[in-house]
Amino acid sequence: MKAKTLLWIIIIIFVVIQFIPSGRPEVVKDNPQDLLANNAVPEDVAGMLKTSCYDCHSNEPVYPWYAYVAPVSWLVSRDVREGKKELNFSEWEGLKKIKKAEYLDSMSEEIDDEDMPMPIYFLMHRDAKLTPEQRGRLIGWTEDFADSLFE
Amino acid sequence: MKKYLIIPLALFAAILFLNFNTTGKVQTYTSVTSPGLTIPDDVQKIIDNHCYDCHNANSESEKGKKKLDFDKLLKLKKSKQAGKLSKIADVVKEDEMPPAKIIEKYPEMALSAEQKTTITKWAEDAANSLFN
Repeated sequence: MKAKTLLWIIIIIFVVIQFIPSGRPEVVKDNPQDLLANNAVPEDVAGMLKTSCYDCHSNEPVYPWYAYVAPVSWLVSRDVREGKKELNFSEWEGLKKIKKAEYLDSMSEEIDDEDMPMPIYFLMHRDAKLTPEQRGRLIGWTEDFADSLFE
Repeated sequence: MKKYLIIPLALFAAILFLNFNTTGKVQTYTSVTSPGLTIPDDVQKIIDNHCYDCHNANSESEKGKKKLDFDKLLKLKKSKQAGKLSKIADVVKEDEMPPAKIIEKYPEMALSAEQKTTITKWAEDAANSLFN
């Protein structure tokens, strides 16, 4: 097969797959149950949550251009869908207190183990990577915030 | 003479208000940060036979120990206890625990429907009661 033919096949496949829906969750800006909108979260912590977590764990992901181009869009869409299913900060206020405590405990564990944010996310979001100090600050906040549920 | 009786009587009355654990089976932990989480016998038995092997302070499973250590559960602060209890209810309800791999190797580790209900109900009630 000539290189030119192969190139055409790749181009055609690339164009065709653009028509396959990625199932990308839509962006919803009005979130009355949102964590940050309803709680006095310190500014630095809010910034970290927005930068490192909210793209997959809220109704307000900031989609980069490649989130609209298959096949990468499929991966981005899947991560956002799964992330929101696990934990959606936009629906925080609707959670029972025990679920809030559970999520905050899980957050502290996953941040401490560096399981979250997922390393693949850093490929295009270098600022989302948390320094050890930031991890400590965020974990400390999850504990303070969990304690405040009992006040 | 009556005056001298008042002090011992008052002490005796005070002792009656102290909560002694006489059974040795029901574990309770009481402190300023943890006003009391109780593990009833039926729950304790399930934990001992189905969870404790991986979720104890000397567990070989680092992950299991880190996520939940039953030796420490009663000593955690309320917010952590509530989080762990809610998670216990979740993972048992969703059949995530005991892990499928373990059940495959040791079928007796599987929880019956009744045991699942016992654990999840206890964990959810206990977590909720921490907020009351």
